[in-house]
Amino acid sequence: MISLAYSFILLPIVNSIFIFLVPKRRGELFRPLSIFLSLIPLGLCLYMFINQDLKTSFVVVDSISWITAYGIDLIIGFSGMSFLLISLNCLLVLLSILSVNQDHGSSKGFLGSIMLLQGSVNGVFLAGDLISLFIFFEALLIPMYFLMGIWGGENKRYATIKFILYTVFGSIFILAGTIYTGVLSFQSSGAFALDFDSIANISMTSNQSKVLFLLFTFGFLIKVPLFPLHTWLPDAHVEAPTAGSILLAGVLLKVGAYGILRVSIPFFTEGFLEYQFLIAFLSVFGIIYGAIVAIVQIDIKKLIAYSSISHMGFVMLGISAGRYLSLEGAVIQMINHGITSGALFMLVGFLYDRRHTRRISDFGGLKKSMPLYAGIFLFTSFASIGLPGLNGFVGEFMILMGSFPSFKILSSIAAFGVVLAAIYMLWAYQRIFNGQLNNDENAVLTDLNSKELVAVGPLLILMLFIGVYPSFVESYIVNDVSIIYDAINSLSGGLE
Amino acid sequence: MKAIADAIGFNLVVISPTIALVLTALILLFFTITIESNEKVKQVITFSGVVSTLFCVFLKFGLFLQNGVSSYFSKKILLDEFSLFGNVLIGLILLFNILPIWDSSSQLREKTTEAIILTLMSTSGFMLMVDSENLIMLFIGLEIGSISLYALAGLNRVDKLSNEASLKYFLLGSLASCIFIYGVSLVYVSFSVLSVYDFATGVGFVGADSVPLTTKLGVILTFIGLLFKIAAAPFQSWAPDVYQGSPTGYVGYMASVAKASAFIVIARLCQVSLRFMPNEFDSFFLFVVILSVVIGSIFASVQDDLKRLLAYSGVVQSGFILSGIVSGINGTSASMFYLFAYIIQLIGIFVIFSIINGKMSSNFNIQDIQGLIINNKFLAVTFCTFMLGLAGIPLTSGFVSKFILLTNLWAYQKYLLVSILLLSTVAGFYFYLKPIWIATIEKTETPVENFKIKRSEYLLISSLATMTIFFGLVPSSLINISRWVVQSYL
Repeated sequence: MISLAYSFILLPIVNSIFIFLVPKRRGELFRPLSIFLSLIPLGLCLYMFINQDLKTSFVVVDSISWITAYGIDLIIGFSGMSFLLISLNCLLVLLSILSVNQDHGSSKGFLGSIMLLQGSVNGVFLAGDLISLFIFFEALLIPMYFLMGIWGGENKRYATIKFILYTVFGSIFILAGTIYTGVLSFQSSGAFALDFDSIANISMTSNQSKVLFLLFTFGFLIKVPLFPLHTWLPDAHVEAPTAGSILLAGVLLKVGAYGILRVSIPFFTEGFLEYQFLIAFLSVFGIIYGAIVAIVQIDIKKLIAYSSISHMGFVMLGISAGRYLSLEGAVIQMINHGITSGALFMLVGFLYDRRHTRRISDFGGLKKSMPLYAGIFLFTSFASIGLPGLNGFVGEFMILMGSFPSFKILSSIAAFGVVLAAIYMLWAYQRIFNGQLNNDENAVLTDLNSKELVAVGPLLILMLFIGVYPSFVESYIVNDVSIIYDAINSLSGGLE
Repeated sequence: MKAIADAIGFNLVVISPTIALVLTALILLFFTITIESNEKVKQVITFSGVVSTLFCVFLKFGLFLQNGVSSYFSKKILLDEFSLFGNVLIGLILLFNILPIWDSSSQLREKTTEAIILTLMSTSGFMLMVDSENLIMLFIGLEIGSISLYALAGLNRVDKLSNEASLKYFLLGSLASCIFIYGVSLVYVSFSVLSVYDFATGVGFVGADSVPLTTKLGVILTFIGLLFKIAAAPFQSWAPDVYQGSPTGYVGYMASVAKASAFIVIARLCQVSLRFMPNEFDSFFLFVVILSVVIGSIFASVQDDLKRLLAYSGVVQSGFILSGIVSGINGTSASMFYLFAYIIQLIGIFVIFSIINGKMSSNFNIQDIQGLIINNKFLAVTFCTFMLGLAGIPLTSGFVSKFILLTNLWAYQKYLLVSILLLSTVAGFYFYLKPIWIATIEKTETPVENFKIKRSEYLLISSLATMTIFFGLVPSSLINISRWVVQSYL
């Protein structure tokens, strides 16, 4: 078990070193080799799904003493929720490597960076204390910096620096919170113990809890991103290469929400109850704002980026409502959004590789030249909108249902987000795929090939699977959600 | 005879590193002037000099185990944890820098060993400085060290910038020395002590409230003289010009040795001499720290010259280190860790610079490292490591040092300082990532050509980079050392 947990962090790093060691003249080897290498972590995930009892709350697997003089240990562990996110990460990494074009596929720097990113994101989900959480949270900036910087679009410098500075600005709040928690922990137990068990036992006043909640949550919310901290996201998505976008939307945004679920709410519940409404308000504002701005976008990638803001708003609404159902919905929606937006970004990437433009007005009538692609895009759009039977519906329904008792007006407004989602997705679909094939360049576009189908196929299957059998996902997150819910419930004196 | 020696505490071991350095320098000078010997002989002399210096530092540890914290030469020389830490640090700085300095001396027009001799002499001065208990002794060490540095800065006589740097460094450095010695004399006139320990005893005796104003002024002036050496704002104006103008091969040494020794002296003054008036100068230091961090961050963000950028980044880092030292004993221990980590990264960066820019050149535009990664993978990767270390990204020693420093500041309830230092890390990410962007990411038609790196340089750079990563992953050992440094003042 210990070695398995470590291998999720170390394997990707070893893989990337392996890729870097392959000589440059064997360029044709990079892609197949990295597909093979990234199958290993995914295989490990499957192995653990079958052989381990993963439906647990957070279980500490191992601890290493890091700074003995301060009593700081690095702790690694997992829970059902973090395990699902790790599996999602490993799957998306494999699929994004499958989906890369010739340009990126022959660059070992690109493939190596993706694997380093995979390792550090896994580290965030496996972290059992605040220090290792912070270390991995910031370490994932390095591969992301190079991914966006080297292989990004035209305006990549601006977007990369904005992304880095926003995240670092958020992370100094998390660092301050970590330090404050450590000092409090020192005052109550005599050691700077920052592991989750010790933090839960720190006795803190209501004000301290509020300050700490704000520090941590602010840092994580930038990563989510919550309106009005979202402005880095559209730039980052548009400029990042396809694989970068898939991982950014698929897992990096979840890091923020995961942090709030894992750290902010269970440990600083009083602060959560104080600022619950503010977060809910901003989330709903973000849902509507993101959706409206998505409607008017002329760039498909930017449209999906703004739709991400809207969808992550749903996640935050579910979290902030603090009901059992809404929390569960939020976690499910996190996974759903990873799958759907990953698929959408991948599809846009396929189109961009063929046509080298993402302007909606450049397309029209693509249904005739790329029927399969059109079908898959429509399917994914439906999942993103939240059509019953597909995964998006489950999460959004649970969130709206669960948060209604807490915030009646807000969740009623949020429900309009689903309508707006239908408008921007279907309108974009209409403009891209329906109508006449006016442009000659569009007429000669080839449909998806088998390689691309393999890349996007697993995501489509998952959309349907979670849509019809959501209790599979639910069974893994029950324990995590109960702990968060109990923490809220015991303080608020019973919401339901 | 022995009775007299015992009475004044005559002990050659305690100043043996200084003696070894001076002897080596003199032998080298003798060989250079009188005998037309070949390079090999001089190389052997220099190398054995450095090794014997390190051995002498080792001997001092033995003396320390035997005697503990003790004074020698009628309270002139002090043997304590700070001086041992300083000796080790300065010895390592010499060891890591002797290679680029040796290489650069062959590029001098006269092909002499004067750079090595100056380096050895200045190291001996700074060794004396961290060893001194008496403020006059401290001044002598400071001057021996600094004067050689002024000369080093101007060693490239044909380069106008180098001359300018040397003159500027000399003029401003002398001014700082004047301020320092004036402060010492004020302290002596009004308080009649010169020893750092006696000062604390005196303050403890009369009480912090009855310390005369003249003495306080003297203390502040003494500190200003030292703050000048660490380039803390508002005494930083010399740093960018000197860094830029001096031959690149020497800047790593010049920057690190002066900073290391001045910081250790400041730490000892704060922890020993001011222990009975701990909060007297808080607002002064707070002013210096905040100004350093703010000015350094702002100016570093707009630099086009890499050496100037490093100078302003040094101002920020000085602010960080100083903030811990003036906060208290645990902060000092964190600062010692920080100092060590910073010095390693600084030397590493300047060794890389001296390869790319040439040992003797002055200007180093940021565009000169364009596309470094294309032909120089090793240099680019290590350069990124050091830069990320300075920025304080996790997995490097820079993060650990910032983390423990800020933790201690928070524990001292210095929330204002913590927030300003945290904000400056965000600015730091901006200006440390800029060179990385240019070296690795920016597309260029004319990338930097492939540099011949000697095996010794490979070894040096990779060991410095390894230390940067190692102390980021496994910091416990160095943290324990940094806590040992302050153990007797806990």
